[in-house]
Amino acid sequence: MSSSVIKSNPFRSGPALCLLAVLLASGSSTVSVAQPAARATSLSSQFPDLTAAQADFLSNQDNLNQFGLTPGKVAVQLAGRDSDGINAYINALMETAAAAPFQPGQDAARPVRANGIEEPLDVTADAAVIPLNPDAGNYNRSRVLKPAIFDEYKREPGPINLHRYVTEVGGIPTFANAPVAVRKEDLIAGQIEVAFVGAPVGLSSGWRDSQHAPQTLRGMYGLTGFDSYGGVDPNLELRIADFGDISIDDLSPELNMPHVREQVGEMLDAGTIPFVVGGDHSLMYATVAAMSDYYGNDIGVVHLDAHHRAERNLDHYFSDRVPVSRLILDDLLQGENLIQLGLRGADLDAAEYAWLQSQQVHYHTMAQVEARGWNTVLDALLAEARALPDRVYISFDMSVLDPAFAPAAGRPVPGGLTTREAQSVIRRLCTENDVVGFEMLDVAPYLDVSYQSAMTANHIMHACLTGIALRKQGVIDGNYLFPDAVNNGID
Amino acid sequence: MKLLTRIGIAVLTTLLVIPFSLSAQENEAEAAEESAESVEPRVPTEPGQVPADIDAATPGLMPLEPLEDIPDDVLVIIDALPDDKAEFVKSGRTGAVLDKDLMFKQLLEAPADAVEAYVDAIMSVYDQVQYQQGRDVDQIELNTHSPDFNSWRLRRPQVLNPEREPGPISLGRYLGGGSGIPTFAGSPVALTPEDLTAGEVDVAIVGAPLDMGSGWRDAVHGPRAMRTLGRGTGGTDVATMVNPGNVLNIVDYGDVAIDQLSTERSVQEVRSVVREIAATGAIPMIIGGDHSLEYPNVAALADVYGKGKVGVVHFDAHLDTGRGRVHLLDHGQPIYRVMKEAHVRPEDYIQVGLRAHYAKSYYEWQQQIGMNYHTMAEVERRGWNAVMERVLQEATQNTEYLYVSFDVDVLDPAFESGTGTPVSGGLTMREAIPIIRRLCAEANLVGFDIVELAPQLDTGYRSALNANSLLFACLTGVAMRKEGITEPGFISELSSEHGQTDYYGDASESASADEPSDNESNGEED
Repeated sequence: MSSSVIKSNPFRSGPALCLLAVLLASGSSTVSVAQPAARATSLSSQFPDLTAAQADFLSNQDNLNQFGLTPGKVAVQLAGRDSDGINAYINALMETAAAAPFQPGQDAARPVRANGIEEPLDVTADAAVIPLNPDAGNYNRSRVLKPAIFDEYKREPGPINLHRYVTEVGGIPTFANAPVAVRKEDLIAGQIEVAFVGAPVGLSSGWRDSQHAPQTLRGMYGLTGFDSYGGVDPNLELRIADFGDISIDDLSPELNMPHVREQVGEMLDAGTIPFVVGGDHSLMYATVAAMSDYYGNDIGVVHLDAHHRAERNLDHYFSDRVPVSRLILDDLLQGENLIQLGLRGADLDAAEYAWLQSQQVHYHTMAQVEARGWNTVLDALLAEARALPDRVYISFDMSVLDPAFAPAAGRPVPGGLTTREAQSVIRRLCTENDVVGFEMLDVAPYLDVSYQSAMTANHIMHACLTGIALRKQGVIDGNYLFPDAVNNGID
Repeated sequence: MKLLTRIGIAVLTTLLVIPFSLSAQENEAEAAEESAESVEPRVPTEPGQVPADIDAATPGLMPLEPLEDIPDDVLVIIDALPDDKAEFVKSGRTGAVLDKDLMFKQLLEAPADAVEAYVDAIMSVYDQVQYQQGRDVDQIELNTHSPDFNSWRLRRPQVLNPEREPGPISLGRYLGGGSGIPTFAGSPVALTPEDLTAGEVDVAIVGAPLDMGSGWRDAVHGPRAMRTLGRGTGGTDVATMVNPGNVLNIVDYGDVAIDQLSTERSVQEVRSVVREIAATGAIPMIIGGDHSLEYPNVAALADVYGKGKVGVVHFDAHLDTGRGRVHLLDHGQPIYRVMKEAHVRPEDYIQVGLRAHYAKSYYEWQQQIGMNYHTMAEVERRGWNAVMERVLQEATQNTEYLYVSFDVDVLDPAFESGTGTPVSGGLTMREAIPIIRRLCAEANLVGFDIVELAPQLDTGYRSALNANSLLFACLTGVAMRKEGITEPGFISELSSEHGQTDYYGDASESASADEPSDNESNGEED
């Protein structure tokens, strides 16, 4: 294992770093594997009356994890008990653990209500499915597109500029102050290069307010104007439009996947680079799936986030905890084509790191930034990104930033990137790579009583627009900085 | 030329159609008379029966109204279509796709050879809009292979704790009470029904942090905010000189397990926990969480006390009688689902404080099925006290048992900014406290909830303090009832009159009302 880590390790250049990597790898292998087995042995030797099944159960740390126990804690609990008490304790653990998986038929054996009244939710806590209501009037209405033929007032296709004045900064809030494209035909007619779209789903497993991010970011500065680093005004250089919002079911992440995937696909088909403003991180499955549908699964993804989003085997197939693992397991993305940056959440435990490694994911944690320094990690990440397949998608979760810079993240974790680090890495990625899509996820505006998070989110997106604009001008070196901004011409 | 032809046809058809239009008008008049008659002697719903008109106005289940008032010139165009398409247009189904007046306009504007394609487009979109078995998902698949499928609601075996006698667990180290561990109303903790029974618990307060509201979300943190603030839930009530903490055995029953990705799964766990509390005879007080919870809460009480035996007073800016939606339950539909399953009769449903922007048809339907609604318009017209007295009378007249559901957005946002779907123009705390205290004292309360507290929307303490104060008002009422004080509108003579002068001139009129006796304890709030 450790040799493969080193092979794919971008820091293999120096012997000292190589040694460090070996140390890290061997150190991590001693953390979780060896010790529990040793402790379990001592448990069964401490309590020799345990049955084989009991000893076996206790020897598996996964079983104990469910109860927040370790062999050491179990030993303390058992110490004061007689043999009946010990049996009762361990059997309770075993019975409870046995009840954790789905029990076939657990939703079936309910008494029929004597009065014959239907209670369709009666067994939902146990059932294998969540029933919906097909009797609902106009069941699909929220997701059906309105054809132009029903427009009361006809118009030619193309983006609609909503400004009354030649120069206007207020008025109707749109992303990047851009004109509005109502339909795919408008994107095509306007030859739109970058299309913003909102996907206001608020089902984060943290604070839930990402459903308000699109409207908040539309109403905030920071997504327009000249960029001092790149020396370009992307709004001038690029044809940009606001494609409105994608319709969302705010009670189920599952129900959103097909429609978001289809709509982002339509945006690609119209020749645009979609900029998706979430919404929580469950969206990443639908957006990257759309990229994979359109470009094939040989795409690269750079994912900036405090959380790895790759938990597995949960009861819900879709949520903000699982998009990365779902994409890889559904073969919509190859693990080796995924780069993650900024990971530090408590949801990443040793087993999760092991899984990411097994999928050859290039992850860069904040622990790595602490070990190597930001610039080293940045260079490594940019090199890895250049080695990705030609087309690159960027998934930006607000939690990658430190809460000092972005308190309005649904799942904030201290110790994150600064805005300057994030702007720089995003501008460089978007300059050096053929970025085919970008998403800004889990901005939860009500967590910030100030303008700060919203403005920061817009500046991050503007940094990517800058990169795309530079690239259009032929600049593909991420180190490029606008000379007049760097030198004042006096010295 | 084309225009002229069309006018000509229009004139012709106007002449031809007159007899039909007349008879249509007659039919309409008859129908109106019929419906006016049918409203008058509405047959009351029998307890345990589904109300007859429960789906009279449910999208998808209500009868389809054929298009009325089709202008004659449009009718000509429609009638020129193949029969099935003409029938489709007249059936009223086009309403699912576009407004009929726009359709009439566009039918008139369309070149003759484009009319059929236009109607085809409507029919095609209509088909996309309607549910179609096999094409559309009608359930959400869960991962039954998950080793943790049930983990979200697995109970922790009590045998894992140190052995103890059943009963409420006091968390205080000091003689003077106080523990540092935040619990509802500073109460001891109970984990099982056995704890409730052994402790002869009167009130079990339980958190249900379901966070699926349609506006701002944060109801997940409602229970935590009320527990950690603490303030507002202890001591003696000034209006009654009753100290509920001394009179009642109150416990914090912890939180109910919630699946934050499914209202549907969560509510049945809520229902089973509320049922297990009520089955011991204790009054469950559920702290939400969003207002979907009203459904499992009330259903659980119907499980224990019988269908149609419990009345409900629903405080809310919103009607919450939404229905016919893709999801069987959300925080706008609990009342419909409660009535649809016959847990509570419409006649025993009383809504107070309504003012959100619901269509006329909602009120018409609520009137049709016999619900008692009290809007802020009624308050504007009659004054708060008159409305309050009417609610109190309605709450006790039909049923032996009462449930009170308190959505904090019934309060004005000035008092309760911390809620997900606030509406201006709501109740003040000085209106809300007395009605809650009186309902909980003067009716036989079997359950109470406070829902939709979303503390993140309030940068201060106010929203949580007011929620705690309403919890305290109801606890006071329950304590008054236990003490035998059920006199309508009881106010303490001691606290409401210093007695040094006869300023109000009523000293001679009556002897002082009975004062509660056992309130000399030191239980006052800091």
